[in-house]
Amino acid sequence: MIIPPFLNDLPPLPLCSGSLNCIHSTNKFLVMKENRPLSGQYRSFLSFFLFFLVLSVSAWAQQRASISGKVSSAGELVPGVTVRVKHGTQGATTDVNGQFTLQAAIGDTLVFNHISYISREVPVTGNDRLEISLAPNTQNVGEVVVVGYGTQKKATLTGSISTLKGAEIVKSPQPNVSNSLAGRFSGLIANNRSGEPGYDGSTLLIRGLATTGNNDVLVVVDGVPGQIGGLQRIDPNDIESMTILKDASAAVYGSRAANGVILITTKRGKTGKPSISYSFNQGFTSPTRLPKMADAPTYAAIRNEIQYYNNPSGGMNQVYTADQIQKFRDGSDPLNYPNTDWQKAALKNTALQHQHSLSVSGGSDNVRYFLSLGIIGQDGLYKHGVTKYNQYNFRSNIDADVTKRLKVGLSLSGRQEDRIFPQTGASDIFRGIYRAYPTVAAYYPNGLPTTGIENNNPVMQVQDIGGTNRNPTQVFNGILKGSYAIPGIEGLSLDGFLSVDKSWTFGKSFASPYVLYNYDPSANIYKQVVVGGSAGLATLNETQQNQEMRVSNIKLNFTRQFGKHHVDAFIAYEQSKIVMDSLSAFRMNFPSTQTPELSQGGPAAADKNNAGKSYIFTRKSYIGRLAYNYEEKYLLEAQARIDGSSTFAPGNQYGFFPSVSAGWRISKEDWFQPVSFIDDLKLRASYGTLGNDNVGLFQYFNNYSFNSQYVLGSGSTIRPGVDITKLANPNITWETAKKMDIGINALFLKHFSLEFIYFQQKRSNILTQRNASIPQSSGIVNPYGSDALVPAENIGKVNSNGIETSLGYSNTTASGIGYRIGGNFTYAKSKIIFIDEAPGTLAHQRQTGRPLNTYLLYDAIGIFRTQDDLNKYPHLTTNQLGDLIYRDYNGDGQITADDQVRSKYGNIPEITYGITLGVDYKGFDLSAVFAGQTHVSQYVLPESGTIGNYYSSWADNRWSPTNIAGTYPRVDERASSSINGGLYQNNFWLNNASFFRMKNLELGYTVNADILSRIRIAGLRVYASAFNLFTITPVKDYDPEGTNGTGLYSTSGQFYPQQRIINVGVNVKF
Amino acid sequence: MKTNSILYILVFAAAGIFSSCKKNYLDIVPTDRIPEVSLLADSALFEQFVVNRYMGVRLQEKEAEGTPPGFGRGFEYGLWSSLTDESIYNNDDNTWVVQRGQLAPENTGIAGTIWGRSYRSIRECNYALTHIDSVQMSDGKRTTLRAELRFIRAYRYHDLIRNYGGVVLMGEKVLNLEDNLTDESLFNRSSIKESLDYAVAELDAAAKDLPLANADKTWDLGRATKGAALALKARLLLYAASPLYNAGTWANAAAAAKAVMDLNVYSLAPDYAKLFLTPSSSEIIFERLYAIGARHVCLEISNAPNGYGGWAGNTPLQNLVDSYEMNNGKVITDATSGYNAQTPYTNRDARFYATILYNGAPYRGDTIDIYTPGGKDSKDGPSNWNSTKTGYYLRKFMDDSNPIDNPWNVAGLQPWIYIRYAEVLLNYAEAQNEAVGPDATVYTAINQIRQRSSVNQPALPAGLTQAQMRDAIRRERQVELAFEEHRFYDVRRWKIANVTENVPAYGVDVTKSGTTTTYTRKVALSGRAFADKHYWLPIPRSEILSSNGKLSQNAGY
Repeated sequence: MIIPPFLNDLPPLPLCSGSLNCIHSTNKFLVMKENRPLSGQYRSFLSFFLFFLVLSVSAWAQQRASISGKVSSAGELVPGVTVRVKHGTQGATTDVNGQFTLQAAIGDTLVFNHISYISREVPVTGNDRLEISLAPNTQNVGEVVVVGYGTQKKATLTGSISTLKGAEIVKSPQPNVSNSLAGRFSGLIANNRSGEPGYDGSTLLIRGLATTGNNDVLVVVDGVPGQIGGLQRIDPNDIESMTILKDASAAVYGSRAANGVILITTKRGKTGKPSISYSFNQGFTSPTRLPKMADAPTYAAIRNEIQYYNNPSGGMNQVYTADQIQKFRDGSDPLNYPNTDWQKAALKNTALQHQHSLSVSGGSDNVRYFLSLGIIGQDGLYKHGVTKYNQYNFRSNIDADVTKRLKVGLSLSGRQEDRIFPQTGASDIFRGIYRAYPTVAAYYPNGLPTTGIENNNPVMQVQDIGGTNRNPTQVFNGILKGSYAIPGIEGLSLDGFLSVDKSWTFGKSFASPYVLYNYDPSANIYKQVVVGGSAGLATLNETQQNQEMRVSNIKLNFTRQFGKHHVDAFIAYEQSKIVMDSLSAFRMNFPSTQTPELSQGGPAAADKNNAGKSYIFTRKSYIGRLAYNYEEKYLLEAQARIDGSSTFAPGNQYGFFPSVSAGWRISKEDWFQPVSFIDDLKLRASYGTLGNDNVGLFQYFNNYSFNSQYVLGSGSTIRPGVDITKLANPNITWETAKKMDIGINALFLKHFSLEFIYFQQKRSNILTQRNASIPQSSGIVNPYGSDALVPAENIGKVNSNGIETSLGYSNTTASGIGYRIGGNFTYAKSKIIFIDEAPGTLAHQRQTGRPLNTYLLYDAIGIFRTQDDLNKYPHLTTNQLGDLIYRDYNGDGQITADDQVRSKYGNIPEITYGITLGVDYKGFDLSAVFAGQTHVSQYVLPESGTIGNYYSSWADNRWSPTNIAGTYPRVDERASSSINGGLYQNNFWLNNASFFRMKNLELGYTVNADILSRIRIAGLRVYASAFNLFTITPVKDYDPEGTNGTGLYSTSGQFYPQQRIINVGVNVKF
Repeated sequence: MKTNSILYILVFAAAGIFSSCKKNYLDIVPTDRIPEVSLLADSALFEQFVVNRYMGVRLQEKEAEGTPPGFGRGFEYGLWSSLTDESIYNNDDNTWVVQRGQLAPENTGIAGTIWGRSYRSIRECNYALTHIDSVQMSDGKRTTLRAELRFIRAYRYHDLIRNYGGVVLMGEKVLNLEDNLTDESLFNRSSIKESLDYAVAELDAAAKDLPLANADKTWDLGRATKGAALALKARLLLYAASPLYNAGTWANAAAAAKAVMDLNVYSLAPDYAKLFLTPSSSEIIFERLYAIGARHVCLEISNAPNGYGGWAGNTPLQNLVDSYEMNNGKVITDATSGYNAQTPYTNRDARFYATILYNGAPYRGDTIDIYTPGGKDSKDGPSNWNSTKTGYYLRKFMDDSNPIDNPWNVAGLQPWIYIRYAEVLLNYAEAQNEAVGPDATVYTAINQIRQRSSVNQPALPAGLTQAQMRDAIRRERQVELAFEEHRFYDVRRWKIANVTENVPAYGVDVTKSGTTTTYTRKVALSGRAFADKHYWLPIPRSEILSSNGKLSQNAGY
């Protein structure tokens, strides 16, 4: 098989004639020896050799019988496995159904080889059909991996790169791909912060936080950097492989690569008869954990205590009498004294989700295709809730060899993401559920809904009675690629692509009024309270946001072997343009809720409003790479990118991002050969400069914007006032990362693989805003809750370093049990070298010299239990019994802001680790992924008091005059402004958010193919799987993977909980 | 197809793709913001920049839930009154930190935003003043806008001075990021007198060029007038003469107030209650207007009783209730007043009924029931966490035509009155009484207010001593200007806060048994405390830190 050399440098796979051929192309070094223009002498020798080969094959064939069989792995038939007779010349390749036939004699040994699987040797004992099971080998040195702007043999990689096969991702199917990554490899931190359908993705960080600026990872799909639509919603069944560039190897993506790059390659067709694959799974989701809340009698007692603290002379029963509390407890008067579990009232035990996926792939010699369709449906957790996520996606990847030299590929994919939510957002609904008093019913005994808390009744808010908020989004991605092998100079080729991405996001939020009831016991009536909409009438808000990105790329490649020297190089030009347009329109005072359309709203001018905006930004890049190796033993690579961006002012628009890397495969040295237990050993290192340009546009001049809010005139009309919104930073430019990696890769004792990496990174010119050091008297004052007035400046400096290691073992026993186990560990620690701080910041409170994202808190060292304690410890003038004791850090006898101390850790873990397990035997396969994190803290102060209910952990253990041994502080009007809470933020509310959790467990069974073949089914696999099955953590009340919430009540832990998912499913192949 | 022709097509296509590859490919003109050149090239845009200076930037959670804040605090969930003996905010929201004397540089509660907001506005005014000469417009327009900017800037200094005392005077400085932001001049606090003198001089200059009155199209309602500048000057001079400031004379203060009266532009509105609901009034000297699309918080739901679906936000204290006279003009502590502690709300000053909702008050076609057991507006009513802790609810500013339930997009249109004529009269009366004693002009000024047609309190008795008149004026101020952000500053400048703010926050327990209603005084919020340092607000700790200690903190913090 002869592979044009230029293929080696093509953007991910697409133009190869099927991925298997691609993989073989990596053996091109050998193949090309035969194909290169050779000296005459050598050519004659070759001819002679081939002639001899043909002769001998035909001679031996007569002595042998035909042996056939099939090859599978984990229940899947494996095409493309080379089967050969050991010490012989007979060979064959398995077809698309894993079938093979070759000539062999009894006593021969057959060797089965495939780069993705561990080789097996099987003796021929008879003429029976052979059934061979191969164990996957993700560490195989022959494997080809997708890298930036090309592919590379894993053996010759010099960068820190992790890969994941699509087949792994579809295990324990997730509607959101980002949730399939945790625990699978070192260096990636994936934290799933919320489980709300449609917004349930994980935040991905490569090697933790490294900048005070933006930490987002660049996602490249099929060669398109930053493809619109991103990673999360790609159908996992469409993914061929995922590559993570963690070190300077990402420098080829220049100004966007500093936070690491994830490359996704979608599946392409392979030559062969059509293969149809269908899979279905049904999932059952439930929250991983919800805080247990106080019940009504407990809360009633707490209300009494709060009022007692406000007015001690009034006694302990100022709100509820003991008798009333008893009624809450015994349920004798459910109308006036209910005891409500709001979680139970508003949430289901289980919600459903499902996925269908259908694909057809195959091809002739010249045209190959992969076509797929997918459907995803997810239900929300709410009882009678409207929250739903539905996705419909297709992909069509077609490759054609127009001539021997010219190849083209067209990839089209599209997706409809339908999100529908109730009017109230998830964080507000959960705020309601956690706040709502257990002393208030969800429904009165006669079935009427109550006003809940402040006319927010979560059980009604989750329904469509108040209107819905629909957010259908369409995404289209089209990529046209071409490549041309330039005649005349061997190894020279030209390729390029043009991609067009589009997304259309529509929003329609119709808020309609509905009735809640408020029981007035004195009059024995249920008063109607109209909520929702506006002033008893409906409102409508419609939005449309269109985004488009066009990327064009042209690239000249040169790949050639000169004796033992191999050269692989390219230069490329790329440019991209992103355009966004949005508009929105609002109507209120709808005469009827039956007509939720813009043209049916209130007719008055004041009933209407609309808005719109747009932006454009462009990039321009020159990219080059030169890779050289000598006998695949000494590896050297240099790459560079010049990036230009419209984000910066002329003069500062261009940045240069070079990197170099080198590797030494010690095991290839002759002197190393005696070390027989090491199969492969590579030392490698990389160093380079990468950039980060992820900041707001146009910060290089003073920005003024309309802020139409000031009202003038006897007619009270709003004026189109102008505000300054951004001060100029004419010098704004790239954030720079200098990354260094030193790594060892080893395969040893046949079955073990090991990787160990030390990395360090220096970020400088970090784009961040000054705030603390700027005195407000200068008039340069940043607003709360909106974009800062101060522009980003290249001022920050952060160093980070750490280690990554992974160890794998895989084997197959003689009895056919294949098993593998892998572990990975990442330690990534950041250290702030410069961050904007007030000059007067006290040494022990400075962020400089400490990790990113730490908290500044009072150190709570106990609770004032007795008057004696109050006398003994320095305290605040208003401290009373039951309050937290704060450490007087500076020993001045007073508790002031100077006594706050920095926490050791932030809410991004310093240590993450994962364990993967897999076993397969006789059609059964079992796999598991565990993920864990430690050295991480999370601050959560629940929104409790008269404003809302308490976690049971606090309520049951609170200090009170009758429970002076309580382990939690006394209750207060509002935790957020309590001396024990928000007023003196302290580390009592800082939790160790370490956890160890079973991310994934899957058990599958592949039905015997012989039975199936009679009903024309090529393969059938059934499975059951689980996601987030169990978690071990010191955190008591919330999922430790969560954030501390968003928005106004940002430290109160009110978020849609993470999901535990149980799946059952089936895969069928025809 | 021949290889060559394919190659041509490829090259051609590539050329097409990159045809947009011009040298200005990276130069994008933004469409969603206004560059500075446009602002300075277009006088209409420039004027819109000036107009927005009446507003300030949001600096805190739960601030400006509607439209951006103006001067002072204005209409918010927690009103400034809830830092005084006028009311307490039912749900704390960082107001109790002030009530309980916990105010500290690191804990400024809701009182922490005036410093930053004022200086940001001052810089922006300075920017406009620095550049106004380069903007093409008529000289008349330029003069007026310049005066308007100087008024706004002076108002910001007024906000700073009355909260922090002597402040850093920035002059005409427009600092930018490349400037030295550790320069001493950013941290040198002038004396109170210097600060006041500067602000007063600026107001004099502004008054000279500001229009006498608002008029649609030419000088819209909501923009500063000559009267506004002079009235603000009168307020500052009154402060200057007050004991806490001790930086001016009462005579100057009286003359400044007199100057406003002599404009003959303003008069008292007949209806005290409606005054706060309608933007067009002869009494209003300077105000902030609101409209659909630019509303403040919905006052009705945030302050109404639980029995009406409200949240009982700012609940008046007994301390304020007790200061209302009987409608016979006598104070309730006067044995001859006819006050009966068990029928405490009969025959009180009409302004009491316009300001406070009490047990038995008529409200929205019903009656306020604060009594227990069973009163719908008590803790026995619905949503008992929203019932008053003081036994009262706020009446002032409430517009009964707004819904309480679901007021979003509808309510929140009442004007916030920064300066009204009654204050000018009170300022005059106080200054004149202090300067020359209770002469006839003092009586005239104060009685005008008492005898507003809807109020109709008896005239003050003749022959009061200066001290008696002082007490009368202070009480008059307390009730007339309740909830209008005066009490906090008045008790401080009079240096009586160490008394008034150390009195417990009183409320009343109302119990009903049969037809008998009993009123019992109670402490509504424990721990109320005031120390001498609290006469001024602490400068936020972050500000001291960013000055590296060069900015001097107010004494005691």
